[in-house]
Amino acid sequence: MMLCRVDGNITATVKHASATGWRFVICQPITADGAEVGSPTIAIDPLGSGLHSRVMVSTDGKHATELVKCRKTPIRNSIVGIIDT
Amino acid sequence: MKLGKVIGKVTLSGQVDSFTGGRWLVVQPLNREALAGKGQPTEPSLVCYDNLGAGVGNIIGYVEGREAAQPFEQDTPIDAYNALIVDTINYMPPKK
Repeated sequence: MMLCRVDGNITATVKHASATGWRFVICQPITADGAEVGSPTIAIDPLGSGLHSRVMVSTDGKHATELVKCRKTPIRNSIVGIIDT
Repeated sequence: MKLGKVIGKVTLSGQVDSFTGGRWLVVQPLNREALAGKGQPTEPSLVCYDNLGAGVGNIIGYVEGREAAQPFEQDTPIDAYNALIVDTINYMPPKK
């Protein structure tokens, strides 16, 4: 799982049919002490994470297909945990 | 899924037969600085399969890897797929 920090979200009307209704969140991969590493990725967010909160992002496409209930979805990243400490 | 800016289009003269009828976009990946509006692109640009009709100048969300070939019935050798065209980006990194 990737340790990421939520840095914002995006809205998109024109998208793949399976992605309708999902919240797209900008996740910036960070190290354990919060230093930014690499470029931000977009993940769907079923848990409603807040801005600048640290989250666990799974890059497993299978979980995303079960979430959006469409076997043909191109979505890959999904937030699977909001980190407390 | 990553964000990228469409900087051009590609038309193919020769291609794999499962690519017939595909539209192709040249996409420049956006890193942190580019998203914040400054900075030079560092990653190489790539060609994405497009099914949504994105134009030059749009910012799109493209998917790489196995999931890029999911939306096709038969197995196609595609590993970059345009999943959404971005309307608004609310990018607010914490100020140091």
